Amino acid sequence: MPSMAIQLQRYLPERDSTPHWQAFNVEYDDSTSVLDALEQIKAEQDSSLSYRWSCRMAICGSCGVMVNGVPKLGCKTFLRDYPKGLQLAPLGNFPVEKDLIVDMSRFLEHLTAIKPYLIAEAAPQGQPHRQTPAQLARYKQFSNCINCGLCYAACPQFGLKPDFLGPAAIALAHRYNLDSRDSGKAERMAQLNSDNGVWGCTFVGYCSTVCPKGVDPAAAVNQGKIASTLDGVIQWFKPAKASRNKEQR
Amino acid sequence: MSRKPYQPPMPASWWLKHPAYRFYMLREATVLPLLFFVASLLYGLYALGQGESSWLQYLSWLQQPWVIALNSLALVASLFHAWTFFVLFPQVMPLRLGSRTLPAWLMVSAQWAGVLLVILALWWLLGGMNADA
Amino acid sequence: MQQLTTDVLVVGGGGAGLRSAIAASEANPRLSVTLLSKVYPMRSHTVAAEGGAAAVTLSHDSLQAHFDDTVAGSDWLAEQGVVDYFVKHAFDELVQLEHWGCPWSRQQSGELQVRRFGGMKTERTWFAADKTGFHILHTLFQTSLKYPQINRLDEYFLLDLLVHEQRCYGVLAIEIASGELVRIVAGAVVLATGGAGRVYQFNTNGGIVTGDGMALAYRHGVALRDMEFVQYHPTGLPGSGILITEACRGEGGILLNKDGYRYLQDYGLGPETPLGQPQNKTMELGPRDKLSQAFWHEQQQGRTIQHPQGEVVHLDLRHLGQRYLLERLPFICELAKAYVNVDPVKSPIPIRPAVHYTMGGILTDANCATSIAGLYAVGECASVGLHGANRLGSNSLTELLVFGKVAGREAARVASKPHSAATDPLLSSLTEQALAPLKRLQNSKGTERWHELRQQLAASMEQGCGIYRSEAGLQQTLATLGQLKQRYQQLRLGDTGKAFNTELLHALELGFGLDVAEAMCQAALERKESRGAHQRQEPSLTKRNDQDFLRHSLAFYQTGSEARIEWQAVDTSLSAPAERRYGGQPQTDKPPKETS
Repeated sequence: MPSMAIQLQRYLPERDSTPHWQAFNVEYDDSTSVLDALEQIKAEQDSSLSYRWSCRMAICGSCGVMVNGVPKLGCKTFLRDYPKGLQLAPLGNFPVEKDLIVDMSRFLEHLTAIKPYLIAEAAPQGQPHRQTPAQLARYKQFSNCINCGLCYAACPQFGLKPDFLGPAAIALAHRYNLDSRDSGKAERMAQLNSDNGVWGCTFVGYCSTVCPKGVDPAAAVNQGKIASTLDGVIQWFKPAKASRNKEQR
Repeated sequence: MSRKPYQPPMPASWWLKHPAYRFYMLREATVLPLLFFVASLLYGLYALGQGESSWLQYLSWLQQPWVIALNSLALVASLFHAWTFFVLFPQVMPLRLGSRTLPAWLMVSAQWAGVLLVILALWWLLGGMNADA
Repeated sequence: MQQLTTDVLVVGGGGAGLRSAIAASEANPRLSVTLLSKVYPMRSHTVAAEGGAAAVTLSHDSLQAHFDDTVAGSDWLAEQGVVDYFVKHAFDELVQLEHWGCPWSRQQSGELQVRRFGGMKTERTWFAADKTGFHILHTLFQTSLKYPQINRLDEYFLLDLLVHEQRCYGVLAIEIASGELVRIVAGAVVLATGGAGRVYQFNTNGGIVTGDGMALAYRHGVALRDMEFVQYHPTGLPGSGILITEACRGEGGILLNKDGYRYLQDYGLGPETPLGQPQNKTMELGPRDKLSQAFWHEQQQGRTIQHPQGEVVHLDLRHLGQRYLLERLPFICELAKAYVNVDPVKSPIPIRPAVHYTMGGILTDANCATSIAGLYAVGECASVGLHGANRLGSNSLTELLVFGKVAGREAARVASKPHSAATDPLLSSLTEQALAPLKRLQNSKGTERWHELRQQLAASMEQGCGIYRSEAGLQQTLATLGQLKQRYQQLRLGDTGKAFNTELLHALELGFGLDVAEAMCQAALERKESRGAHQRQEPSLTKRNDQDFLRHSLAFYQTGSEARIEWQAVDTSLSAPAERRYGGQPQTDKPPKETS
């Protein structure tokens, strides 16, 4: 089996004050993923190496890392595609906890803030709503987010201003706003309209490039800008005393 | 305490790190030559209000090589910006027909066709004025 | 040591855990509910389920039919009262999920769409393309954010249960980020920690599926029931074992051996159905146990295909066409391209059986209660009695919901009533006991490495406790497990840090796995018959033997010696045991051909 040199960014918080690079050699074949390589290193060379992983099939969203500076899922990135060698580092823009593990709590807070659940008046008793394939298609793509955080690592605005809700959270808000069963848009717009909402985005667009699931969060955020503008216009023309929550559906 | 999260710095040069960021900065930088173009226009309007000599002075200023160069750059920049805008447009305003989205290439082509139409219309309009004169 | 107090503690953030936490919050909104998980909930392995969730939906279907399919699928080892409750509540739970926003696939009219699934008489499997588990998990997780009383402890590792005199007072856990210990005192504890597939080598399961909750309940004296029944999913990718959903066959995919022959017709599943016209319960839509066993026979007879990563057969989807595949099976197309470089539109997918599901688990009654007061179990870690000797595809996602709700409701009921609290000295002494294995690991000065032991465990289970078992093979694996347990005492950890010490966690998981694997082997050894997913090779044991073994096995943990197996009667009050029939016409199952 051929072998490859891998540069790994290490950071052991109980020992190091800043991260440093460490070189490893791994054997690989056509099917070896970055995740396999990490497992090989942990098993055979340095058991203190830490990284997150679980499903190995690009659906659990655990194993995001920077591969030569680009956010990728470790399980879906293969050594065969990097004949010149690899540099692996933790996802950008997040605080590093240890080695390739970052602190995702801010992302989780943003996700929670946008009320990512169906807010519906009354559901049909004991029966599902009707929703045509066309209505489903409006939001389906945005419901495919696996919360891997690659888009946050790609977003310079999140790097510059961590309070920015960010691509995945806004995409999820947009997903529910577009759902024909939902009537909670008004409750979400307050967050989306704020400086940390859609207007924090300058449409770099790289989030959509790195998304491993074709969610296209940049589209969601910028569609959100139009929704936010319309929302503002509607507010403008609304009688001052009307209850915003009740009327704005 | 065993936890000591390391916050990676965000250096001012962050945008040099990746082609996607450099491309983004280039797109945003198109505003600079366009600013110059807008300033030239405003200068022209001002000159027009000041009378004929001022207007002639403006015309000769316009013909200086560096002004021509900057305005050409502005033209290129605006076309480049238009291109990026057109490509992003289908993402921002997808058009749906039933459960299918209109393909992006169709929307991009339609926008360029629109640009072509406007140019032709302007050309016809200006050409008409020349014919009158 | 930090101590937290909560009314209901749910351990595990997968489908069952999330459903329990929501149910507990709704049952009594004044209760505090804590959801502890060793990963962020959306990483839980529910996420990888693809095909769908079953519930009687169409007008020509019936609860009786779903009941009959499930009981026959279980080879009559399911608890029939439990199955009856399950089929009656399945539809409501899927509707509930729809009301919470799950993006179920739809018909043109806007009504729900159902698909065929293995071993099911009628189309009754609800699906969200081929990412049903993913959408269920994310819908539940996102819905759980609505409940302010649910307090999440993400990335906390369960170290032990605090049990005294058959009552559970809470748990001891590690905050993974800091390595600090946390004691959580709870009025009721729900274990929803998932299966134990990772004790095997070829695996559709994620790395986290290590049997933690099973092992802990087992060590505290709760029986593990029916552990010998381990489901091999017939279609995993070679090498990785990544799951290729049964929905591929539900939509019309076919299985071919190296001669391009649909070999399933030779195994009591025929007659061959025309291409593109799948028939329920026939050929490729037979149950998983039969299909995996058929692969084993084909391999024995040299009719499988050589692939760089082992022997395979082909799953052919080409006749379904690109448009249909991208609509119904987009994830499968993505997986096949990424992991075996095959475009299912143009080429057949190489597949082989891979360990998928542990039918058995922590013994509970129909209300998800274990033999320890205040301790509940639900989902794959539990054996509520739904699956018996073989689970039908698309029953387990529904199980998470139906019984997740039951477990949450029951835990809330118990936690709402006045109950005796543990005294501080008792908690301290229970904590001391719970810490012993951890301290032993941390202080061990041996030379063994966890990784090597884990490899040997997985290889040995595959070898001796796989699709077909024999006394000699099982004895061999049990002997290996014994040695591995000895060597486990001599582990040495390379990572001595506290923050995110994943090596320590893997070592603890390995300890759990060793105990669970032993229960599986011991039960398999003593079940001297062939039933469902448990097939014995000895000529006298290749048939089902209802007279002696129409019984659940119960494995009890014995400190320092092998598991003790007891037998428990099966509830067959609603449907008398009969022959399992699949295929288009009545056929008797061919006995496995002896080749080795």
